[in-house]
Amino acid sequence: MTAKALSQRDLATVIGLEVHVQLETDTKIFCGCSTDAAEDEEPNTRTCPVCLGLPGALPVLNEGAVEAAVKVGKALNATVAEHTRFHRKNYYYPDLPKNFQITQYDAPICAEGTLEVSVEGERRDIGIERAHLEEDPGSLQHKGGSIDTADYTLVNYNRAGTPLMEIVTKPDFRSPQETRAFLAKLEEVLEYLGIFDATRDGSLRIDANISMVPAENVGDDGAISDETLAEANRTEVKNISSHKGAEKALAYEVTRQKNAISRGRAVEQETRHWDESRGITVSMRSKEEEKDYRYFREADLPPLEVADWKEKIAIPELPDARRERFREEYGLDAESASKLTSTKEVADFYEDVAEQFDPDLAATWVADNLLGELNYRDMQITDVSHRLDEFTRLVELVAEGSITTKNAEEVVLRGMLDDGDAPDDIVDREGLGAADDDEVVTAVAEAIEENPDAVEDYHAGEGGAVNFLVGQVMQKTGGSADPGDVNQMLREKLDE
Amino acid sequence: MSDTPVDAEEVRHVAELARVNLDEDEVEEFATQFADILDYFDALDEVPEVDAEPDLVNVMRSDEVRDCLDQSEALENASDAEDGFFKGPRVS
Repeated sequence: MTAKALSQRDLATVIGLEVHVQLETDTKIFCGCSTDAAEDEEPNTRTCPVCLGLPGALPVLNEGAVEAAVKVGKALNATVAEHTRFHRKNYYYPDLPKNFQITQYDAPICAEGTLEVSVEGERRDIGIERAHLEEDPGSLQHKGGSIDTADYTLVNYNRAGTPLMEIVTKPDFRSPQETRAFLAKLEEVLEYLGIFDATRDGSLRIDANISMVPAENVGDDGAISDETLAEANRTEVKNISSHKGAEKALAYEVTRQKNAISRGRAVEQETRHWDESRGITVSMRSKEEEKDYRYFREADLPPLEVADWKEKIAIPELPDARRERFREEYGLDAESASKLTSTKEVADFYEDVAEQFDPDLAATWVADNLLGELNYRDMQITDVSHRLDEFTRLVELVAEGSITTKNAEEVVLRGMLDDGDAPDDIVDREGLGAADDDEVVTAVAEAIEENPDAVEDYHAGEGGAVNFLVGQVMQKTGGSADPGDVNQMLREKLDE
Repeated sequence: MSDTPVDAEEVRHVAELARVNLDEDEVEEFATQFADILDYFDALDEVPEVDAEPDLVNVMRSDEVRDCLDQSEALENASDAEDGFFKGPRVS
């Protein structure tokens, strides 16, 4: 960056991301230890000679991790390399028991993809530079102080060897909001692929490269030349762990860099640490340069040739395509289609219900009622996965007219969520079975008989009178009659 | 002799990457030893080429869980442990 002070609005933001995602396999990437971390598990209970780095132990690649990587490549429209291999990245830190991390260097399994995101109605393609496989390190606890002042370090290798995919984007983001939209979309796609669990602690970790360039050097299509990029000093922000965190950390960094430049100071090229609790980035002592990692071939792992897996391994319909199909096939509006495809589980459930009943009725019940009530209770569809057949039964009760919509929503659905009861039990207990016709006919006759004034008003042309009579009938039937039907029956009777 | 002799600066850098403290005498000693070791590698240039065996590709295992070590086994070689963790010095 030139020393010339540029005013803040003459600057454009450029961001690229490195996203680490944990792949949901049953076992670690190079050994048969389980990846299933119980919440309160003891440290160092899921380890073996391979992931502890004991002398002579040899890694063997997990086929499941490679399949997951190919699925990611396919979903990102990336190429899957004809020939790919592993390297050792050497650094001395106790989260790696071997003093090197097995990763990929010059031949990543996936390269040159894209992911389309939409920010404030504007669609943008974000380029994917590469996506490679590597092993997760173990986890450290700094005891007796912060990382700088701790008395000692405790190390747990349960996480060590969990398969990771590092997805590196091109410097295609022009705002922090775009990174958030991208990360949310990426999570959605990975969940659809069934290879990612966002609820798992540490399942998503992000590093971001960010710099400011003169706005005049940005093309109308957002393109920025390599020369412009090379001239700008960038910072790498580490320790971001969510899409919200990415937006916040990068918004902070945009302000910090713009302030520095507008005051005529250069942005220092450095690594910065996002401090989530304080909401700021802080300078980190410079770590090794790339050549210091002394990458070399991992001779214990033969190369991979899996380009043809891209044809063999199927991936499910992805969220964008499914949204589009829901609109066409079921005639849903954009908002419902979007809600109903927010996760694969919701979409699968909706389709299951829509096939059995009316798609519109199914959309109302799944998108508005079920998701609405779940959201109100801070619950997810995954919290009720094992009870989806009960919700199907509830929709059936409404569809066949056994209970009224009002009772179904206000009594049965809420009872199911709050008390965990089955719909039929609630209907029996609360006596909600829709009033049979005889009962309603009797109630209509009684209401007319008991309210001659209202009848007179009706004949005098007062529209409100019939509503009063409907209310009387509803009271008599305990709310189990359909108000529309009652209205019609009353009019017929009164007009006789 | 190797093309580029190893100087003291390079030894200090490598030692720092490996988190090893060396005093000045050791730096001198290792600089000489590094140069000797690199010379040994030159000997490989003299080895005649032989037919290589065909490379293996796609060696993988299925994604099936196998028995792990239990905690006490995992910590058996640790010089220090606490509450089931490996214990080591501060690492900033």
